[in-house]
Amino acid sequence: MSGIRIENLRRSLEGVVASVLATCDGDGMPNVSMISQVHYVDADHVALSYQFFNKTRRNLLLTKAASVLISDPATMASHRLELEFVETRTSGPLFESMKAKLAGIASHHGMEGVFRLLGADIFRIRSIAEVPFLALQPPPLEPPLLPAVRKSICELDTCTDLDELLDLSLECLERHFGVSHSMILMVDAKERRLYTVASRGYAKSGVGFEAAFGEGVIGVAALENTPIRIGHMTSDYRYGAALADTAQRAGLLSARPAEIAFPGLASPGSQIALPIAIGKTVSGILFAEAEEVMRFGYDDEDALAVLAGYLGAMIELLREDEDDASEDAQPADTQSGTSIAAQLHQADQSVFLDHNYLIKGVAGAILWKLLREYVSTGRTDFSNRELRLDPGLRLPVHSENLEARLILLRKRLEERQAGIRIEKIARGRFRLVVESPVTLEEFAGSGGAGIPVANI
Amino acid sequence: MDNLPRPGTPQEDLADRKSPALPPRQGLLTADLVALAQGGVSVILASCGAEGKPIAGIGVGARVDEAGTIRVFLTRQANLPLLKALEDGRAIAVTFSRARDHVSFQVKANGASILQACPDDTPEIARQSAVFRDELIGINLPKHVAEGFTTYDPGDLLAIEFTPEAAFVQTPGPGAGSPLSP
Repeated sequence: MSGIRIENLRRSLEGVVASVLATCDGDGMPNVSMISQVHYVDADHVALSYQFFNKTRRNLLLTKAASVLISDPATMASHRLELEFVETRTSGPLFESMKAKLAGIASHHGMEGVFRLLGADIFRIRSIAEVPFLALQPPPLEPPLLPAVRKSICELDTCTDLDELLDLSLECLERHFGVSHSMILMVDAKERRLYTVASRGYAKSGVGFEAAFGEGVIGVAALENTPIRIGHMTSDYRYGAALADTAQRAGLLSARPAEIAFPGLASPGSQIALPIAIGKTVSGILFAEAEEVMRFGYDDEDALAVLAGYLGAMIELLREDEDDASEDAQPADTQSGTSIAAQLHQADQSVFLDHNYLIKGVAGAILWKLLREYVSTGRTDFSNRELRLDPGLRLPVHSENLEARLILLRKRLEERQAGIRIEKIARGRFRLVVESPVTLEEFAGSGGAGIPVANI
Repeated sequence: MDNLPRPGTPQEDLADRKSPALPPRQGLLTADLVALAQGGVSVILASCGAEGKPIAGIGVGARVDEAGTIRVFLTRQANLPLLKALEDGRAIAVTFSRARDHVSFQVKANGASILQACPDDTPEIARQSAVFRDELIGINLPKHVAEGFTTYDPGDLLAIEFTPEAAFVQTPGPGAGSPLSP
C-alpha cells in the first residue's frame, strides 16, 4: 500500500462532490456510476452506500473489486482507491451513521425518497493512488481541534457538581469550538427516551424537551450508541409537531400530551449528536447544531466524541449518592400570598401548577413526593440518597441519573416562577422552598382531565 | 431543495424510448442522448485492468459524430491507468450525468482508440466545461468547488474514440441499468 492514509483524505469523503465508482463483470466489461457516499470506517476500510440492486451490485458480489475516485472539494486533490468488497451491513451504528448522512445528501440534491440506504458495503482498501489534477489554492487553515479539546477538558476538571459540569460543557463548545447552539439530554432508560437538562444559544431553554430513542439525530445516536451527523437537514430527522400529530391521528395518543417543544433552530443546516456513554451504556447525548450546512466534519466528530466521552466519565465521578455530613441551616419562613394549586396526573406522573403543565415522569414523581412530605410534615430538606432508595419513586437501574432529574426539575421550576424552588444546600442535599401555601390534588387520568382521587 | 428541478427517473427515460415520435438517431443514440452527452455534464469512465480489476477515470467533455461515434476528452495525467488498459485493448464504459436532474445514461464498447484532441475540439471542450461549471453552481455547489471540478490543463488533453455497442439508463432509481434499446 502507498504511503497515503485515508485519514488524511476524509474531507473527500463528506459527499460534497459525488465520487466515481467503477466495477467489472466476470468478462471484464466495466461499469461506471456516480456514488453519493464513500464513508470512512477505519485506517483500512471504507463503506459505500448500497442503494439499488443494479449492475454495480451484481459486479461487486461477483468480482469483489471496485475502483473509486474521490476528490477533496476544497483543493480538488483527487485519489483513486482500489477496494476489495468484504461484507454488507444492514443495521447497526455504521449503517445508521450512513443512513442519516445519506438522507442529508438526498435532501441537498432533491432526491429525498429516491436515495435510500439498503446497506453499508464494507471494503478493504487495497491501495490509494494520487490522481494528478489541477489543484486549487488550499483553503485557509482552520483552527486545530486538539487544543480546543484539551482546554475544554482542563476546565471541566474543575467542576464540583453535575449542574456546573453540564452548563460549562456547553459554554466550552461555544468558546473553544465556536459552536453556539447546543444541548445535553439525559437518558430515561425505562421509557427509552431522552430529556433535555441543559441548553445554550436558544431563545427558550427547552429544558424538559424529550426525544424518543430512534427519533431524529439525537434518538438515533442514543439507540445505536454512535455519533450521528447531518450536513444538510432533512425532514427525515427533523423534530417538530409532525410526530405527535401522526401519533394522535393514528389513535396512539388520546389527546395531545403535555410536552415541551424542541428549542432548537427552526432551519438548521447541520446537526451532530454524540453519545455520552459510560462503558457501553449511553447515559446521555451531547447535541450541537448550526445554521450553516456541512458545519461538522469527520474531525469535528472525533473531537466532540472525545469531549462527550470525557463528560460521561465526569458525570459518573460527580454522582452524589453520599450525603454531606454538614448541618443544614434552617430555612426562613417566608410564606406569603395566594396559595398554589398543585395537581398530579397519575397516568404519566405529570404535575401541573395552577393548571399549567410543569413536568412529568420521574421528575414529576420526585416533585410530588417532596410536596407531599412538605404538606404533611413541613419538612423542607431532603437528600439525593433517600430519593434514590425510595421504593415509591421506583427509580430504575443504577444508570439512572438522579442528579440530572433534579437539575431538570430545578430549571423547570425556575422558568415557571410559580413560587416553588429547589435549592442545593450541600453535596447530595437540597431544600424545597415553597413561597405560598400549597394544595395538592391527585387525578387518575392524564392531560388535565380526570377524576380527583385524593385531596391532600 | 426547493430551487432544484424535480429529478428524472429511469421510467421516464425508458418511456421516452417508446415514444412514437422518436427523434432521429445517431448510431445507437437518439438525438436527445447526444444532446445530453454534449451538453456540459459529468463524464466518468471505467475500464478493466489486469486480473479483471476495474479502473475508474474522469473526462472533461464529449462529442458525438453523425455516425454515432463518441469522442470522450480527458486529461492524460488524471487517467494513466485507464489509458493503459485501453491501449491493451480492454473494454470501455462511460456514463454521462446531468447535474441538475441526475438524468444519466451509460454506453459501453469492447475497446476504444486513443487520439490527440483536434484543434476544433478545444473550443467545444471549453464550452461544455463552462456549462458544467454553471450547472454545478446551479445545484448549490460553492463556486470555487464548481470551478475546481471543471478546470483542466488544455495541453494535457487526449481523446478516446469508440462506437458504443450498448446503452443503458443510469438515472438513479429502480430500473437504472435497463438497456436503452429502441
